[in-house]
Amino acid sequence: MGQALSPEGTLSRQGGRSPSLRQALTRWLVNWLPALPMLVLAYGLLAAPVLALLLQSFQGDDGHFTLVNWVEVLTSRGDRRAILTSLLLGSVSATTALLVGAPIAWWISQLLPRGRSLWLSLLNTATNFSGIGLAFGFVAILGNYGMITLAFQDLGVPFMPPAPNTFWGLVLAYNYTNIPLFILLTIAGMGMLRQDWWEAAQTCGATQARFWRSIGLPILAPFLGAGWLLVFTWSIGLYGIPFALAGNGATRKVSLITLVIGDSLQASISGQGEAAVLAMVLLMIAVISLLTYRWMLGRTARWF
Amino acid sequence: MVLDRRLLPSLGRGLLLTGLVIYLLLPIGAVLLYAFSTRWTNHILPDGYTASHWLQALADPRLVAVMLRTLGLALLVTLLDILLIVPAIYWQWIHNPRIRPHLELTAAIPFVLPYVVIAFGILSLSGQFLPAALGTVWLLALGHGAIAFPFFYWAVDNAMAAADVALLNEVAKTCGASPWRILAQVILPNISAGIATGSMLVFAVSFNEFALVQILVGARYETVSLYSLDLLTGTNADFNKLAVITVFTFGIVFSLSALSVYLNRGQGQTRRLMIGSRSKV
Repeated sequence: MGQALSPEGTLSRQGGRSPSLRQALTRWLVNWLPALPMLVLAYGLLAAPVLALLLQSFQGDDGHFTLVNWVEVLTSRGDRRAILTSLLLGSVSATTALLVGAPIAWWISQLLPRGRSLWLSLLNTATNFSGIGLAFGFVAILGNYGMITLAFQDLGVPFMPPAPNTFWGLVLAYNYTNIPLFILLTIAGMGMLRQDWWEAAQTCGATQARFWRSIGLPILAPFLGAGWLLVFTWSIGLYGIPFALAGNGATRKVSLITLVIGDSLQASISGQGEAAVLAMVLLMIAVISLLTYRWMLGRTARWF
Repeated sequence: MVLDRRLLPSLGRGLLLTGLVIYLLLPIGAVLLYAFSTRWTNHILPDGYTASHWLQALADPRLVAVMLRTLGLALLVTLLDILLIVPAIYWQWIHNPRIRPHLELTAAIPFVLPYVVIAFGILSLSGQFLPAALGTVWLLALGHGAIAFPFFYWAVDNAMAAADVALLNEVAKTCGASPWRILAQVILPNISAGIATGSMLVFAVSFNEFALVQILVGARYETVSLYSLDLLTGTNADFNKLAVITVFTFGIVFSLSALSVYLNRGQGQTRRLMIGSRSKV
């Protein structure tokens, strides 16, 4: 490998290495290029921002690592109340959606195809009414000059429906989409409960109540639980509807995690560390629900 | 006695179902009435009816601008998602299955994580690395493209699975067709219903979205959501005009969803209880 050979030698050595490198690169490009723009978008605008918030939640104003933000959020009465109210609102919404939605899903699943598709159309239509428009719909029926409020005043009934800016008003507005979604999600699971099981149970002398307690509910439980979890998670993450309904600043009666995050983003650059912590709280809630949800749906496989 | 036992549950069922129908129809009904009412502050029904709100809305330059902006953004986002996602899924089916876990993982993010968190994250990240993009409609379009991506992905992925794209591709390749020709003349015609469904979902998400619009651009690019909020809670609230906008928006989103159900006859109405087939609200 003397000097004399060097020009050709280096050339050939390079020629020997670079094609294989180039080949590897080409192979990689062939494998990934068509998907690359999409993956860049998905990781860049979905995964990376979450990571950025995670880091930000541990960063002080000077940029150094600190737990101050976490300590402040967990000891602040306002933030703790927002977290508790969000969890409570999510659970109450999901539970009412379950209590109303589960029996209705069962009845609809037992209908003949025509009646079934009529109901499904109605439910699908309702899920399209969302966002700020839906918030307005609830102001239009429950607000100071809302249809139901006026109806009660007209009739002289001394009962007032919950105002849209209260906890129960929000539950009503949330469940407008939650109940139809719960039904649409669980109706497929209802088909798992087979008619012959009910006949077999009857042959053994079981009452309808006994059938539901010992056979029906245990089989449907994972589906119902998974539906509950999804409604719970979505409800906690809602922002537009409560923002439009709950009012601003001092007039706000219900404080939620998403609203507190929105407030601090509108207000200023500082204080975003605490908002990042609250965002991580939402992330943890979402991850825990997702894991529980997968575990629950995994259990449905036991029966088949 | 037998009659009693059977009557009672069916009475309960009737009440529950009627209650649900009333609950679902009342807000829509009240909004519709507002769009046609003159004055409505005293009785259960408005004092009078008029079509003038619709004529005024059509003549309002701010409203027309808001509609055009929202429409333009939604179209841009839909186009973006079609151009980025179709090649990725296609390649995953015919060449590199290792793309799938990446798509599935990222598709789960907007499904479980609140939009307000994603918006905050995008704001924070672009503030650090790309301050020039802050507040631009382009960043908003990319953000909408990202949060709407799961709906498009699931619709098109299902369509590709149903059309057995890998097999189609083998057959076309055996006949000597080039990859581009296969995509354009064999694959796309077979998955067009899936693309149409996915596009409508993406369009509807972007058209109605609030958190990203408010947090990423705010008043600099006023969309239907922001204008609606202003008409609902702002100092010059106008419920009649808001009702016109709401009816219009609901009409658009509803027709898109009805069309996508029609395109997927027989399977579009219920939603599977699995990550992969619902439209988030």
